[in-house]
Amino acid sequence: MQKKKSNILGWQKTENVLAWIFASPALFFLLLFVVLPFLMAFIFAFTDQRLVPGPNPTAFVGLRNFLRMFSDARFLRAMGNNFLFVIVVVPIQTTMALLLAVLINRKLKFVNIFRTIYFSPVAITMVVVSVVWAFLYEASANGTINQFVHFITFGLIGPQDWLGNYKLAFPAIMLLSIWQGVGFQMVIYLAGLQEIPNSLYEASQIDGANVFQQFFNVTLPLLRNTTIFVVLSTTILAFQLYSQVEVLTRGGPQNATQTMIFYTKVMGFEQGKIGYASAITVVFFLIVLTISFIQRAVMKEERTVK
Amino acid sequence: MRSGKTIWLLLSILTIFSLALTSCAALTPENAPAQEAPAGESAAPEPTTAAPASADSTSTEPVTITVWTHAGQGGEREAVQQFMKDFNAKQSEYAVELIELPDGSYTDQVNAAALAGDLPCLLDFDGPLLYNFAWSGYLTPLTGKIDQAILDDFLPSIIEQGTYKGELYSLGQFDSGLSLWGNKSYLDAAGVRIPTSIEDAWTLEEFESALAALQALPEIEYALDMHFNYGRGEWYTYAYSPLLQGFGGDLIDRSDYSASTGTLDGPESVAAMQALQNWINAGYVNPGQTTDDDFYGSKISALVWVGHWMYPAHSEALGEDMVLIPMPDFGAGAATGMGSWNWGITSSCQNPDGALAFLNHMIEPENILIMTDGNGAIPARKSALAQREELYGEGGPLNIFIQQLEGGVAIPRPITPAYAIITNEFAFAVDSIVNGGDVQQALSEAAAAIDQDIEDNNGYK
Repeated sequence: MQKKKSNILGWQKTENVLAWIFASPALFFLLLFVVLPFLMAFIFAFTDQRLVPGPNPTAFVGLRNFLRMFSDARFLRAMGNNFLFVIVVVPIQTTMALLLAVLINRKLKFVNIFRTIYFSPVAITMVVVSVVWAFLYEASANGTINQFVHFITFGLIGPQDWLGNYKLAFPAIMLLSIWQGVGFQMVIYLAGLQEIPNSLYEASQIDGANVFQQFFNVTLPLLRNTTIFVVLSTTILAFQLYSQVEVLTRGGPQNATQTMIFYTKVMGFEQGKIGYASAITVVFFLIVLTISFIQRAVMKEERTVK
Repeated sequence: MRSGKTIWLLLSILTIFSLALTSCAALTPENAPAQEAPAGESAAPEPTTAAPASADSTSTEPVTITVWTHAGQGGEREAVQQFMKDFNAKQSEYAVELIELPDGSYTDQVNAAALAGDLPCLLDFDGPLLYNFAWSGYLTPLTGKIDQAILDDFLPSIIEQGTYKGELYSLGQFDSGLSLWGNKSYLDAAGVRIPTSIEDAWTLEEFESALAALQALPEIEYALDMHFNYGRGEWYTYAYSPLLQGFGGDLIDRSDYSASTGTLDGPESVAAMQALQNWINAGYVNPGQTTDDDFYGSKISALVWVGHWMYPAHSEALGEDMVLIPMPDFGAGAATGMGSWNWGITSSCQNPDGALAFLNHMIEPENILIMTDGNGAIPARKSALAQREELYGEGGPLNIFIQQLEGGVAIPRPITPAYAIITNEFAFAVDSIVNGGDVQQALSEAAAAIDQDIEDNNGYK
């Protein structure tokens, strides 16, 4: 008996050591490229570090960067835009993803073609998507979107400058972001849907439930965990809004499409204020962290193993 | 079903494999592609990374001199490659290794290299971005290292551009020209007088009535093409700060470069930007422009506010109809932009003599002409200019540029390490104004931000 016990402990110890050895390369790089810059950002946030070090040595400036940030109209606009983006895009994208998933979760003959079509925007990088949509959003009457709008409104709405109009620029970016991202959430929802046993639907049919009742009482509750994941990941990704802005509008017109990450890049790399940009990233991190906590607390996951 | 899946699987593997093989071929150094941006393309190029064109070393190991340059338009790239080849061929002491970096992110990469302590021996800077590097100690002064006779042959604007705090830090092979280009047939049809020299440039009233007359022509959609398609970047400051100066304003107080407030947001600057906003509101200018060829391609514009680099495209498309018009005098004397890429030697260079030798090679008049023939810029040396009389001499199509450079119309961008902030903030302001924002507010915000930066850096002493 005792021999077996010590053998088990020995085996566990060896397993542990082996696990650490296998994980160490990845851990090393994680530390070097994720944890270290993270800590550096925290430190830089309290200094006036410049991108190109000049003759003046980097000095600690305490909370100056943070104080300036919150009286910087452009930053406040960027933060507001990010929140607006999340509030609009997350519900719309999640709902559309769910509806699309329900739509293609059936045994039609060519359903795989539809699944491919709906998923394909995700496979294209956001930069390429932005360039394509730049052409679609062409401001003249020849622009594709303008022609489409002209057609479906019977000429009531004339050609719009989608990316140059102060009121339309941000919605335009939201639209293309939703278009690109919905496929990914749809696939996740599809996986979640396929885990729902058919017997539940049959049972509800026997009880006399119609399609809507089935959706709200069977599908949605069983998609709880999936929905939590989808909402959480979409929120975090939505806060990182950058590529579309960089390619299409560069924060304009008049900060209508300014976002926190884009503003960080402008301040850090175009103006060389690394200290200030680091402070922005710290604030960004705290915001995303807080929102993730709130979401997790509000939507308690169902756990099968207590 | 089974065989169907296998076929798809095989096809996908085959596709990925062949793609990987193709890209492998492109990665080998011999096949380094030098993709050219077609002439006349807008100043936002594709982000291609060119592989380093390594120097061929002869039997005695020549000392390698690393040189960085921005991969500009086709003509510029070919010219620099030509310089490298000629220099490596004509002597065996040094071998230049030329690395071309994508234009769009060139400044970012240079900044990153400075931070990493990884700068090359010799590199070029876009105009006024030089001063921050000089102030930060990354460049060795050229004072006393170049023959005075050569320096005297340079246009005074080049020397002015390269001088910071009394020391010469850089030399450029060419200077830039910025002015109005006109389509003669449209101008004649609208009955607009065409000025022939900087002496009889248009006044503000003449300019605005010309715009109105041109706008009335049936083929014209936007009388004045101001190339907003170049996007919010250095172009905004280069092209539109002369507008401030023409009205009597400026980006910063040039007596001591200590503050922008009062100058950038003063009444003259506000009037200048207000005029720009008025032109946009009147429909003369397209603020949401995405096309590059309104003037020379689709010809829906009769005037274009752009620089020398468009000369090849303009002359090819318009031929005899192309006419270069001096900058109008908006009330405080005509003003236009100047300054361009210039070469400097870094203080971390191990072989500054080699870098100096290559620099001397590049500023020889023949080589300057190779460059300017390729990019249409103005040769920096008078001896080179003299060899292109038909272009720059009296009566030549580009003579207006020379008149503006030598006649004091061309004003350098602010010679201060704060330039990066100035240009960034001014571009933000222009972006706001062009989209209908309040002019005074936009300029005041920009001035405040600039002042704050100057203060943060103790006045860049």
